[in-house]
Amino acid sequence: MALSTTAEGPTRTSDFAELVEAHQAMVFSLAYHFLHDRTAAEEIAQDVFLELHLHLNELESSEHRISWLRRVALNRCIDEGRRRKRHREAQIEELPEPIAPAAKVDQWTHERLRRLVASLPEHMRMVIVLRYQEDLDPEDIAAALHIPVNTVKSQLQRALQMLREKAGAVKRT
Amino acid sequence: MDHRQEDQFEYQLKSALHRQEPPNGFTVRVLARLEPARPEPWPQPWLHLPSLRWALACALGIAVFAGGWMFQQERRRAEGEAARQQVMLALRITGAKMQLAEARVRHLSER
Repeated sequence: MALSTTAEGPTRTSDFAELVEAHQAMVFSLAYHFLHDRTAAEEIAQDVFLELHLHLNELESSEHRISWLRRVALNRCIDEGRRRKRHREAQIEELPEPIAPAAKVDQWTHERLRRLVASLPEHMRMVIVLRYQEDLDPEDIAAALHIPVNTVKSQLQRALQMLREKAGAVKRT
Repeated sequence: MDHRQEDQFEYQLKSALHRQEPPNGFTVRVLARLEPARPEPWPQPWLHLPSLRWALACALGIAVFAGGWMFQQERRRAEGEAARQQVMLALRITGAKMQLAEARVRHLSER
């Protein structure tokens, strides 16, 4: 069994594997909902966990680890998003119209919403993903992003308004 | 848009942004990247045996000692040979001088 050393002593690979499994959905989904690209999301999630391994001795509690993972994942998503400079709105028109049963309509609606979220400006995208994926309160989002609570609230409102308008526009076409 | 519609929209958003699992084998791929580059295995694993290592160390020590002793012996032999050559040369010179002196004595006595 491979060992790695932290301040608290050796950490077994199996322990780290458990840690990855416990948080992989959160990290992967943050990246996926931010970038709307599963391949890029997996790459980012892997990088985040490799970085976590390097900093394990600095993260004392489970809560600390979770907030660290969220912050690092979002920072990497921002970097990747800026690197790509993709024009996400252009992809919305590529979606086919729903002609399937109700379950597929839901699937289509969800996919459309995810694409709309991915087309938001990056700060709005962050607060929306943290609010609706991670179910965080504005106070927790403010703490995670190191911004004032009022800024979070206003960005949430503006983001929701933009999403509704875009969703309405897509629905009308 | 009324409150009910707003709630419905947020509910849909929450549902759309639910957590998703990464593709299968994600943890394995992370751990594979985590594995450090393993050092090359020792080329002769039998050298790991302690008794063999001791035997090799002793043999090496004996070889060094024997080499040193033989070197000393050879140096002494060479020094001895040089001294013998010097003595022989000295005897030859002495002999030549004695012959010369004898010849002179004989020449004077004949007069």
